[in-house]
Amino acid sequence: MKTTRARSTLALACIAALTAMVAQPAGAQNDLAAARAAYLAGRYDDAIARFSRLAERQPEAAVSVRGLVQTLTEVGRYDRATRVARRFVEQNPTSSELWNALGETLVLQGRREDAEAAFAKAVAGGASDSLTARLNLAVLRYRQGDVARALRQFDSFIDVYNRSTELTSTQLTAVATAVRYLGVADWQLYEDALRAYDEASAADRDNFDAQLLVGDLFLEKYEGTEARQTFDAILARNPQHPRALLGLARTRRFAGGSEAMALVERSLEVNPSLVPARVFRASLLIEVDAYDEAAQEIDRALAVDPTSLEALAVLGAIEFLRGDAEGFWETRRRALALNPRFAEFYNTLAELSARNRLYHEAVRLASQAVGMDSTSWRGFGLLGINQLRIGSMRDGRANLETAFRGNPYDAWTKNTLDLLDTLEQYEERATRRFRLVIDAKEADLLSLYAGELAEDAYERLAARYDYSPPAPVRIEIYPHHADFSVRTVGLVGLGALGVSFGPVVAMDSPSARPAGSFHWGSTLWHEIAHTFHLGMSNHKVPRWFTEGLAVFEERRARTGWGDNVTPGFLVAYRDGRLLPVSELNNGFMRPAYPEQLGFSYYEASLVCELIERDHGPDALRRMLLAYRDGQSTDQVFRSVIATRLDDFDDHFDRYLRERFGDAIAALRSAASVDEHGTASRPNIARGASGNPDDYVAQLSMGRSLLDQGRASEAVPFLERAKELFPEYAGPAAPYWLLAAAYRTLGNTQRAVSELRTLTEINAGHYEAHLALAELLEAAGDHRGAAGVLDRAQYVYPLDMGVHRRLAALVAETGDWGLAIRERRAVLALGPVDQADAWYQLARAYLGGGDRAGARRAVLRALEIAPGFADAQDLLLELHDVPKNE
Amino acid sequence: MTRSLGIAALLLIALVLVPRAVAQTYLVVVGGIGGEPRYSRAFDEWCTTLVAAAGERLGVPQGQIVYLAAAPAGPPATDTSTKANVESVLTALAGRAEADASVFIVLVGHGSAVGGASRFHLPGPDITAQNFAALLDGFPTQQVVFVALSSASGGFVQALSGERRTIITATRSGFERNETVFPEYFVEAFAATGADTDKDERVSVLEAFNYARREVRRSYESNGQLLTEHALLDDNGDREGSTEPDAQAGDGAVASQLFLLGTPRVAAATVPGDSALVPLYEERTRLERAVAELRTRKERMTSEAYERELERLLLALARVSRAIREREGGPR
Repeated sequence: MKTTRARSTLALACIAALTAMVAQPAGAQNDLAAARAAYLAGRYDDAIARFSRLAERQPEAAVSVRGLVQTLTEVGRYDRATRVARRFVEQNPTSSELWNALGETLVLQGRREDAEAAFAKAVAGGASDSLTARLNLAVLRYRQGDVARALRQFDSFIDVYNRSTELTSTQLTAVATAVRYLGVADWQLYEDALRAYDEASAADRDNFDAQLLVGDLFLEKYEGTEARQTFDAILARNPQHPRALLGLARTRRFAGGSEAMALVERSLEVNPSLVPARVFRASLLIEVDAYDEAAQEIDRALAVDPTSLEALAVLGAIEFLRGDAEGFWETRRRALALNPRFAEFYNTLAELSARNRLYHEAVRLASQAVGMDSTSWRGFGLLGINQLRIGSMRDGRANLETAFRGNPYDAWTKNTLDLLDTLEQYEERATRRFRLVIDAKEADLLSLYAGELAEDAYERLAARYDYSPPAPVRIEIYPHHADFSVRTVGLVGLGALGVSFGPVVAMDSPSARPAGSFHWGSTLWHEIAHTFHLGMSNHKVPRWFTEGLAVFEERRARTGWGDNVTPGFLVAYRDGRLLPVSELNNGFMRPAYPEQLGFSYYEASLVCELIERDHGPDALRRMLLAYRDGQSTDQVFRSVIATRLDDFDDHFDRYLRERFGDAIAALRSAASVDEHGTASRPNIARGASGNPDDYVAQLSMGRSLLDQGRASEAVPFLERAKELFPEYAGPAAPYWLLAAAYRTLGNTQRAVSELRTLTEINAGHYEAHLALAELLEAAGDHRGAAGVLDRAQYVYPLDMGVHRRLAALVAETGDWGLAIRERRAVLALGPVDQADAWYQLARAYLGGGDRAGARRAVLRALEIAPGFADAQDLLLELHDVPKNE
Repeated sequence: MTRSLGIAALLLIALVLVPRAVAQTYLVVVGGIGGEPRYSRAFDEWCTTLVAAAGERLGVPQGQIVYLAAAPAGPPATDTSTKANVESVLTALAGRAEADASVFIVLVGHGSAVGGASRFHLPGPDITAQNFAALLDGFPTQQVVFVALSSASGGFVQALSGERRTIITATRSGFERNETVFPEYFVEAFAATGADTDKDERVSVLEAFNYARREVRRSYESNGQLLTEHALLDDNGDREGSTEPDAQAGDGAVASQLFLLGTPRVAAATVPGDSALVPLYEERTRLERAVAELRTRKERMTSEAYERELERLLLALARVSRAIREREGGPR
């Protein structure tokens, strides 16, 4: 707060409340305490019964009636709460104690004018909660767009705080909320608000309202952990608290968790009239393109409170996303009639548009928000973030700086500005259609591969889709995963590898993760594919379809790229844990279990594969165009492939059974399969001998024998496991183990064969590439070894030794283009012996006939090491031999 | 005490027997106590590798190499690396080393810092930076290269820095207490190829330091770890080490001229009686200096002018070097 103040022991409001309590008989006090306890514990029916009995016994006792109104309101029985409160004020005309409670129930039903009158009577009558009534009046004005007047009224609460010797917990909550509103003009007041909420909570630990508002404040500032702790603390005491359940649902959505929908539905079970919960549920439904259901949810919300600005904003978003222009303008008119300065209408639209990947629209909408309200810091933040997503880096930064000046507590804005500072250390490399933005330390290396790969992807995808996204496409490659995460969601902790905003692609560098842990080349291809899908569909393609299509494109890009089938996927299918196509979006937006996201990627890719198989390559392209035209998934299936979605689900199910039936049968004993395709079994040997058709049993036995050094005995089991499930080539697939066994047994040819098959199915297995190259090189197949090492660079290009090996191999085979690339890669990795690296590059240039390049490189070598005899000889050779030789 | 004196006497005999003409570089390697078998093995391996490289690869006479090991099991270890033995060896060497000799002292093992003062863990009492400071006072005219390849070794710089001293530590302070990988790469610089970045067929102390520094960074990066050790080099006596020494400025100039192999290239390459080589050597030296001088002017020149002049000088240098090699009978 602005000033500190002295405390006294009692507040006037407390005295008033105490007087009311003291005036009651001892039995009534006990009953009141019991009712209150039931309310706090979430035993709402019990609390209502107790408060009702008390109110009947002493209809003039405001504290009992207020408790009843409060409880009825908490569970959404607004009509009855209103009747109870109104009866009190009618029966007790000299008391103003229930006017504020009455006003609050009226506000929840959208009866603003009646509510305003009630609050005014509470203030005029000097009710014990008149300060809260004053706040409610100011909030009403704020929400009507009378911001200046409202802010003046909020400002007076600072005087209340500074001039009072003691305030009750409820009064402190009112002060805190008023100060929080003032934060829009002076961000430092957010700290004061937080402090006042803390004081309110300290003064009365039963004041859940103060704690809820703290949680909301944390969430508003993207402090998800603190918010969650706050809501958890309330729910620990009252697991039924509907607003705490809603708060927790919001934190789970903020953290990307899948429980948000279940939590908000629990909240609505307790209070079916909780409009913010209905609005939040609707926004969750929008994220999975369930617009009809979302609209129904908003209808329910507006039935309770027709003046809910938040509900109208989400309704506007639904209409906007559906392309319902008439409905949208009508909803906009309704919202702005209630509050002409309601910038949040556009902010909500912008946020939900961005969540549906409509970044250009988000920019346009956020621009309207800040045009409507120049203090809409959230609007500036949304504008800046989405400008960055479409590549408008300078404007994006400027708007984020505006947002930060107005509200430096916004973690997303701050993190992104920090990231932009980091980006200044990055270098830009241009290719024909791409602008690569890479950390200066890695730019020389990664641009050697990324540029060519991106151009290849563009050529092939443009030919396939008959569409060319506007160039240049910006590709940002981050060596720190946290930076990539901030670029994508504003905060650290995102699990993804890459993202495409359409004109901008961002991804992890291979250096961001442990060596060989992800196929960065395949990831880049995947994200560029999204750029095509988003562009073709005007960003209207649903998540499941673009992800499936992108994985499918990975598989078509190069041998072994893209996800492939795993035991876990098949077991999930067998156990009915995969989603039907009609619900596949949920697997991406709200996965029900951790593995479901990965399974959904692969499943979606199989859907695309099946559609192409049955309907030809153009079907997928036409589906994107149908989405562009605003069709729903159901409509797209019917219009493009003449199939009802339900029928396709059945068809897809048959396809899976046909394709993987044998493997599924072989996995019958796999109750729970981990990521390595293994399962614990009490008796491996007995299981293997008794179950020759059991993949897990055979694999486990083979591995067990191999671990014991009994390679020759392991081979039959591993061969059998491979035979049962030949499509699987994961980290611990039979291929890898067989290769190890055959190497142990000295059977290089078989080891090569296993590794070759493994890498053809799974090009992300870095170790397998290195092992295969080693065997091929030793066997004299240098061309083959070079090919394998070349493919390995798209998994992990940071091993200097591998680059040297590859450069030497391709020099032997005369592939000087590749030799030059690899020698440049060595240099980019900063070898200690720079002179030698330049000399080797000069040799490669000369081999390729580029004498000028060779001369430049050898001069660099000799500049570092003037006495370098080999380089001196090369310089003389270049200089003395006539150019035409 | 008696045993220590005996060690010193043995060393004295060895030193006296070495011919004066090549008695310019001395190497004392001290292996610290490992504590665990894996550390003991690693320390001994690094020490023996360095000793072997110095003797067999770089030509330091065996009589000028001493290896004190925590648990000596015969050659090349000379004796146990107790504090008393370390003091005896260095004291004896101080009495016998030529005034212009180079003395390399290399510590491989665990270290720590108490109150900012670095110490090195030996069997029995540890030896501190202050102990070494007193011992190094015995080398007032010699070039001393003191290399502390232990954890928490940064404090050695401040304690030992001085004129004609090059101090290398594996860490930049006593607070970097984690196991270090710098020693592995520092030893590798002398034992393998790759550290001779100026291609003069010798590895200077600066080259070895830079090689190890870069490989340490690469090792941490490839393992996805944050760098927890930052090696220092100090050779200008200012009691402050540099993490990135530069031969052109600050620390690094002296270290760039110090070699474990103690023979300069010209002297080694001289063919007695071939007077025609003398002007060629002189011309080569002149051209090398011209290239070095040109590099200092690079920022002030246009790139075209710089490239042109660089190529002219390098071509001339290449021709002279080839002529020298031909007269010396080496490969063209």
